Amino acid sequence: MLLLFAGIIVKGQETTLIAISNKKGAPSIMKMTELKSVLKGEKQRWNDGTKVSIVLMKTNTPVGEATCQKIYNMSGDKVKRFWLGLSFSGKADAPIFCNSISELETIVAQTPGAIAILDKISIGTNTKTIVVDGKNSF
Amino acid sequence: MKELKSITILVIINSFIGSSVLYSQNTQIKGFVDALAGVQNDKLSFALGEQDLFITSELSDRFSFLGESVFRFTNTTPTKFSVSIERVVIKYNFYGNHNLLVGKHHTPINYWNDTYHHGRVLFPTIYRPLLFDANIIPLHTTGIGLQGHNLGDLKFGYDFMIGNGIGSTDVLDNDAKKSITAAIHIKPAEGLRFGISWYNDGIAKGAVGHDGMPMQWAVDQNLFSGSIAYFGNKFEVLAEGTLAINKTDTTGSQQTLASYIYAGFKIHEKIVPYVRLDNLSFQEGEIFYNNNNTTSIVGGIRYNINYVTTVKMEYQHQHAAKDGDSNRFSMQLAIGF
Repeated sequence: MLLLFAGIIVKGQETTLIAISNKKGAPSIMKMTELKSVLKGEKQRWNDGTKVSIVLMKTNTPVGEATCQKIYNMSGDKVKRFWLGLSFSGKADAPIFCNSISELETIVAQTPGAIAILDKISIGTNTKTIVVDGKNSF
Repeated sequence: MKELKSITILVIINSFIGSSVLYSQNTQIKGFVDALAGVQNDKLSFALGEQDLFITSELSDRFSFLGESVFRFTNTTPTKFSVSIERVVIKYNFYGNHNLLVGKHHTPINYWNDTYHHGRVLFPTIYRPLLFDANIIPLHTTGIGLQGHNLGDLKFGYDFMIGNGIGSTDVLDNDAKKSITAAIHIKPAEGLRFGISWYNDGIAKGAVGHDGMPMQWAVDQNLFSGSIAYFGNKFEVLAEGTLAINKTDTTGSQQTLASYIYAGFKIHEKIVPYVRLDNLSFQEGEIFYNNNNTTSIVGGIRYNINYVTTVKMEYQHQHAAKDGDSNRFSMQLAIGF
């Protein structure tokens, strides 16, 4: 059981992640601390006034697991509990959790202010890759 | 001309459709419920807790709604159950992380009341701290407020609220005086939060207090609260205190100090043994609260089966000046759905 748990953590840490956003809203360059802050629901609007919408892969997917580890430093269950508590207190809107990368890309492309984490470069016409700490991936 | 009119109508319809696509109403309904078993006075009892329905809805780019309704056992109704509106909050995000809130709120006077609400699965212990049971603080305020959060490097936050005071209903204030709540907090590190607040209300003679009893004197109430919360990967600490100063023309000022400290240690991500110490200390001559100095110790263990299912077992020993010693062993299964 411990080996399995350790395996999941290692797998999560090994997956390379990329931050993407809708062309409207998020900046093209961010620090990792800023990205984590946004993805923890600490920012309601981008500097241009567009509402922040967080789009994530479900926590039981490989990308979702890696996001939980690298962004939230939590297990998938803890991330879901974190968001349950935050939305229940009325302090933030819960993310949209997706089953597939294509679903995630579609939502980001259609939602101004959307920001998302995935594991490959997105080539959508209405999305852009965010450079985090000077790198395209992390 | 006719063509221009048609184009104009089409543009208007399109703009409505466009905005509804962009900001289609996203409504979510969630709930919490808990079941209990407890041993007190050598008797085992089973109990239903609260059933809490929680609704959020994004109405537009800037407007959102949050509602919380609770169904619970009440001995005074024919059905033995009652429904209460715990929160109805319409939020308008007017700039950045700054919001205007209108409706019925859990008074943002301390961390517990502003965080856990009625979601028992989120509570660190089975029951609320004693300062809630002893009606030291107002749980609800119906009114209007300004809220900001996560501002600057220290993640500063504020809540300023004006509303119907103690003795009022959700539709009518019983007097001209309004309650005022001013609360600020900072979050200087991950999982760490410091907060202080001030609450003021002028409670009219005859107003029904938290305990359902009419006031014999007009009371000017000031509540000063402070809290430290830390919920990290290994340790959990939550300490809160409220100094209540109740002043009447007849009896002068009396001070009540109510506090608790909770500490938990994660021996595993899902398993948290914990303790909580409570203290209620009333000044001689206190007329607003039930003057009953009380101390309590709670020891328990929490097992988070998953993010919406939690089992807690705890033992509580309580000593009250008027009621003597009491012991209680409780188990709770709390879920979210």
